[in-house]
Amino acid sequence: MSDLWPPRILVFQCQYSVYSETEREAISSQLPPHVKHVQVPCSGRISPLFVLNAIQGGVDGVLICGCVPEKCHFKAGNLGARRQLDAFRAFLSYLGVEEERVRFAWIDPAERGRVLQEIAALEEALASLGQASRLVTRVPLQPQGERPWAS
Amino acid sequence: MGELTQAIREHAARLLQEGRVDVVIGFKTGTVPLRAQPAFITEPEQAAELVHNSFCQNNLASYLTRRPDTERIGIICRGCESRAVHVLVSEHQHDREGLYVIGVPCAGIIDRHKIERQGELDLETVEVWEEGEEVIVALDDGEQRYARAEVLDDACLRCAHPQPTDADLLLADLPDNGASVDRWAAVDAFESLPPAERFARFAQEAERCIRCYACREACPTCYCTECFVDHNNPRWCESMVTAGGTHAWHVIRAFHQAGRCVSCGACERACPMEIKMTYLTDKLNYDMAQQYGFEPGMSDDATPPFAAFTLDDADRFVR
Amino acid sequence: MHKIVTKKGLPTLIEAWQRQAVVYAPVHNGGIPEFQRLGRGTQAALYLRGNTRYPPKSLFISQSETMFYAQGTALEQVPLPTAPRVILGVRACDARATQLLDGVFGTDSSDPSWVRKRERTALVGLGCTKPGATCFCSAVGSGPFDARGVDVMLTDLGDAYLAEVQTDEGETLLEGMPVATQAQVEAAHQLQEAAASSMEIPFETEGIRDVLYGLFSSSFWYEVQQSCLGCGVCTFLCPTCHCFDIVDEVQRRERVRNWDSCMFRIYSQEASGYNPRPTNVERTRQRIMHKYAYFVENHGEIGCTGCGRCVRNCPVDLDIRQVIRDARSWAEE
Repeated sequence: MSDLWPPRILVFQCQYSVYSETEREAISSQLPPHVKHVQVPCSGRISPLFVLNAIQGGVDGVLICGCVPEKCHFKAGNLGARRQLDAFRAFLSYLGVEEERVRFAWIDPAERGRVLQEIAALEEALASLGQASRLVTRVPLQPQGERPWAS
Repeated sequence: MGELTQAIREHAARLLQEGRVDVVIGFKTGTVPLRAQPAFITEPEQAAELVHNSFCQNNLASYLTRRPDTERIGIICRGCESRAVHVLVSEHQHDREGLYVIGVPCAGIIDRHKIERQGELDLETVEVWEEGEEVIVALDDGEQRYARAEVLDDACLRCAHPQPTDADLLLADLPDNGASVDRWAAVDAFESLPPAERFARFAQEAERCIRCYACREACPTCYCTECFVDHNNPRWCESMVTAGGTHAWHVIRAFHQAGRCVSCGACERACPMEIKMTYLTDKLNYDMAQQYGFEPGMSDDATPPFAAFTLDDADRFVR
Repeated sequence: MHKIVTKKGLPTLIEAWQRQAVVYAPVHNGGIPEFQRLGRGTQAALYLRGNTRYPPKSLFISQSETMFYAQGTALEQVPLPTAPRVILGVRACDARATQLLDGVFGTDSSDPSWVRKRERTALVGLGCTKPGATCFCSAVGSGPFDARGVDVMLTDLGDAYLAEVQTDEGETLLEGMPVATQAQVEAAHQLQEAAASSMEIPFETEGIRDVLYGLFSSSFWYEVQQSCLGCGVCTFLCPTCHCFDIVDEVQRRERVRNWDSCMFRIYSQEASGYNPRPTNVERTRQRIMHKYAYFVENHGEIGCTGCGRCVRNCPVDLDIRQVIRDARSWAEE
């Protein structure tokens, strides 16, 4: 196993699907160094361009978390995200990038700890898929031990 | 095809004479064999230059977003061009009232590379013309004959809608409107390969790319004044001719065409490095058809699939 | 000094070169000929009648070249290349174009990468015994056997090449090769003359700079650019086009130089958002005038060597030969 294993995971989470700021901090502090957590205003913000950029950068798995339908703070951003990301995931799979590497979960803020469950499930899937290689063209900027946002 | 050319000339001249349009966009004879040049006719006498044949390689609808806003435009449209017009109108890029669509049936465009590759390496093509279902190539030493079907563009061979839609004037009918065509042939063939092979093929095609963006400019539905490749902040796509930059270019351009591409193949015909790319856009269109029952370019007021999301969308993805 | 290189003996000669230098030549490449490094499994395809699609200027100014890379917080320069090279089978138009570009990259504001590569590269030209219909080198002051840009000019005699040495470097390359007979030299010269005279001249260049300047404000340019899509095919495939863009690719941590195209809208866009060439009219006018007027002003030569790549590959068959002819007609009216 190379020293880049365990799998690098990038999580985009909609800020409204997290119960509170305290919860967000708790999640962040529980994350191992190979998992990066990025908060966004809405899952609808996540363009396929982000997903592609992450994959090209050598991320092994991408998890996008948004609010459940009818609970989107911006009305239907999560629905727009669903269509776009669903089509993009199918397209990536067409090009040989394993489907399991890109996941989309709708999370109700009441489901405390759900995102950690999803991350764990993704890690498990990635353990059998192995390191990402298709479309990977950049080595990660940060070695796996560093978290650039940590002060 | 002689009758069609005659009809095109007569109607183009008439429209200009009547002051119905300010310009008629069509094709005229090219300066090299197997080519035609887009023509912009503003005087009735110029209509005599217009031609219609299987060497008209471009999608003329790509000029609609390049003309002055207030211009009233007459445009000669085959199937794919008329569908591109629909997409542009439905995306509010052109006012339908300012357009006069002259519909012509299409029997497909000849792929000049298929002819060039079949020829002898040492012989120069002097002239090419069509005679019924045959294409005759006069070389500087001898002649070669091909059946049209042998040398037709791949996108045309898969075309499901060669008949123009919603023309203001339809010059003739085509009996078989693409019904018997296997339009997803390229997608099926690609998908039947194992994943590693699919990626290898994609990377192999993309490797030749010189980032000239001819594909983008030839495409009628690529009209953004600032393309994603030109963004600096954030930087989505390196402009280098590296695997990273080129993969991002091909993947995202195809993705931006999901539910918008009219499968005309103008992108492949424009590419100087003969890169295949319709197998990418076809896949996205297939997905839009399967998931949302959407077909691009069939009407002036269709809602694009990524703008039409609902609670009841087909879902194979969300956890 | 004229030497003979038999076609049977050429591989041996190439091997001798390869002991001292890296050798490039056009290869078949599945029907899209291109210059590649010769080695095991990569054979020269000098039998190909036409030219490579992608121009050999890429061997002197790469389409993408890293200039600096980040090392911590400092920018380190990428070392300049050192390997000597021989480029075999370069056409007269492309060699002449490389020579014209010396005027851009090799003089006052000399480019270290260009200069280094030029110093360490020998060009063995292959003249065109059968010029193509889209070739027009003879219209722009050159010709199918113009040896001005090469160290050796080869003429295909059938089972051998006549090798006309042009420089000391060329002489070194052909050391040990037999001297050509008078008959062989004459046969070659006849082929060269036949090739040159077989070419049609599509336009006159006499006074073209003034003709184009005279048309600067004319609606001629609006007419010309109507079909132009504004892609980069002509500029990227052109052996004399040389514009570039330097960009910091932050995710790669490199400062990179890439070919750029004056036909792209943002090419001349300034940081303020102002663009001195806001529409395709100005950009198309600039492209034509750069080749046939501004280059003449700046370097005393027409900046086009008539290779015909733009003519063959333009997606809309916008033919520069037609543009120059039409410019003259417009000027005369």
